[in-house]
Amino acid sequence: MGTDMKNRAAVVGSAQTEFRGAWSDRQHVDLITQAVSQALLGTGLRMADVDFVIDSGSDFLDGRSISNCGFLGAMGAHHKEESRVEEDGLWSAVYATTKILAGSGSVGLVVAYSKSSESDPRNFWSTLAEPFTQRPVGLDQHSAAGLYAQRYLARYGIDPEALRAVSDRAWAAASDNSWVDAKHAMLADPYWEEFVATPLRRRDMARPVDGAVALVVAAEHVARQVTNRPVWITGMGSAIDQHFLAARDATSFPAAAAAAANAFRMSGASSARDFDVVEVSAGSTVGELMVLEAIGLAEPGRAMDLYAPGSAPGLNASGGSLPADVVMATGLVRLHEVASQLGGRSAHGPTGATTGLAHGAGGIGMQNHCVVTLETS
Amino acid sequence: MTTTAGLPREVMGAMDARLSMPYTLTAGAATGVFLAELAQQRIVGTRCSACETIRVPAQDFCGDCGGDAHDLVIVPPSGDLLAWTVTDQGTVALVLLDGTDIPFLHQVVEGDPAALSMGARVTAVWAAEPQGAVMDLMGFALAPSEPVHAVEEAGETATPIEQLNYQMVLDYQHAYGHFYGSLFDGIKNDRRIRGVRCPSCRNVLVPPRAYCEACFVRTGDWVDVPDTGVLQACSVVHIEFIGQRVPPPYVYAEIVLDGTSTRLIHTVGGLSAEALRSGSVHPGSRVQAVWSDRRTGSLSDIDFFKVIDGPADE
Ligand SMILES: [Zn+2]
Ligand SMILES: [Zn+2]
Repeated sequence: MGTDMKNRAAVVGSAQTEFRGAWSDRQHVDLITQAVSQALLGTGLRMADVDFVIDSGSDFLDGRSISNCGFLGAMGAHHKEESRVEEDGLWSAVYATTKILAGSGSVGLVVAYSKSSESDPRNFWSTLAEPFTQRPVGLDQHSAAGLYAQRYLARYGIDPEALRAVSDRAWAAASDNSWVDAKHAMLADPYWEEFVATPLRRRDMARPVDGAVALVVAAEHVARQVTNRPVWITGMGSAIDQHFLAARDATSFPAAAAAAANAFRMSGASSARDFDVVEVSAGSTVGELMVLEAIGLAEPGRAMDLYAPGSAPGLNASGGSLPADVVMATGLVRLHEVASQLGGRSAHGPTGATTGLAHGAGGIGMQNHCVVTLETS
Repeated sequence: MTTTAGLPREVMGAMDARLSMPYTLTAGAATGVFLAELAQQRIVGTRCSACETIRVPAQDFCGDCGGDAHDLVIVPPSGDLLAWTVTDQGTVALVLLDGTDIPFLHQVVEGDPAALSMGARVTAVWAAEPQGAVMDLMGFALAPSEPVHAVEEAGETATPIEQLNYQMVLDYQHAYGHFYGSLFDGIKNDRRIRGVRCPSCRNVLVPPRAYCEACFVRTGDWVDVPDTGVLQACSVVHIEFIGQRVPPPYVYAEIVLDGTSTRLIHTVGGLSAEALRSGSVHPGSRVQAVWSDRRTGSLSDIDFFKVIDGPADE
């Protein structure tokens, strides 16, 4: 371990609902209770053992103000300390871990969820943009991704058609992930070929889905009692870029690089290549490539190489966020994936993995980035 | 109170909802000048006093160095097209205006997007009737022979636009799920209120739900709940406000339906102003639902609760 952490925190349990295009017969609370009750299963921990709850969701997506107040019971937060993080759930995990390392609790529950099927998620994304000069000219998650993509592809001389390898691989992996309703054969529908923000087609964009994810973080003394395979959190970092998309770097994510550098400093890693399992979030295929380069898994302009058949077996074995993007929760899903794979609780991912990295992104055009590293022994 | 078995014949699916919120957004000094000057067909940017970066739209703070000292400059309405993306909201583009350091996010209008190329010269297209908003500059169009112009000091500038009226409208279709769907189906078709019992604390919960919050255990049996109860707390409403369903005065009340342990928020009505003043509605009052002629499948199918006599129905 890099820096001196007196206390240690571990992921001791995690669970997700199935991710579906629409859970039209479930409320948020139904999805949340399902994930939360499953996350505790097998740990021997009961809700009474949970000291605090940290959760991520969006009032805009939920269609109600301070929506966590209505979901407290479903999260098991009745008469407990509870905090909402208005950012992807991976930031909630960092908050919870920090509380445990600081000694203000021994068991923390982290919850993230959304049901973007209940509204048009593009409205949610445009509400993030500055309303005077950015929102009215059509800035949203699609147009931001399109602008990044055109410049990235031009700079590195990559044919937009080559991006099919990225979405194909993601959807093929999701087909093998029974927790996601995405099947690779779905991409045969012409719907996915439509250009939504040239040069990007709909198949290049993260597909919003409904779902919830929950994760239990525990201090070392608890972790050793409740599991013989604690997944230690070894590093955490986050960084944010300028709000104005036009002022950001055209073809790279320096904030993702800074977030990873912070996490690596804590964990003693030198780059993402040090990790057996890597799960990253992205709003688009090109966004995913830029994240992989920022965290050091590929040189600038070379992330496409990771999608050659047989390469990078530990990368987004779940399928990642392209086939199933639970907005506000996708980063925490990545952490759940890594922890499950390292903890021997997952049906996918490489065997024998002991180290992992989870990445989350937030904001318009992936302005904000968070990286968490994990290790089991 | 009776325990019922089986599922209702129909479960209501979803509820349409709209959030429509009016805002008066405050543009601030620099953006306010930028917006105001568009009516004069001038594009105002800022030159950071610390790092000399020129950006447009004008900003109160430099995004690169964080400095807040700057000069306003007039940026030429011409530049190079750096990037664009064709979307259903138009062709969103980044244009590096002549003499600036940070690209300007706007749109390309006019012409076939297929004719665009990276680095192409473009020039501003202005709205005929300015509205005091960013779309007074409609966007940019190809202008191959447009020469490169220079940034100038702004000198005297227009009074900043202080406020922008903005209406945020968001539409939702909220899924009821099994528990609310069953409740509202029963209300709509059978005028029947249904709850669930927690197997741990034995409390009966209305609205019904999958988990008892207090015990965090899965709920058990469905229970039919009578439409009578006891008023737990109340407040007489005299003022009028937007969204009010019944004219004042009326009583806003927490009602514990007989046999339940949850409090239902509803109204007590059918009372004269004198009756309200005399305190005839108070905690402990027995009440009963007055059902509406409407069948919408919501709690507004109960017009209000009326005060009744008699002991609690156990
Ligand atoms: Zn500056
Ligand atoms: Zn209970």
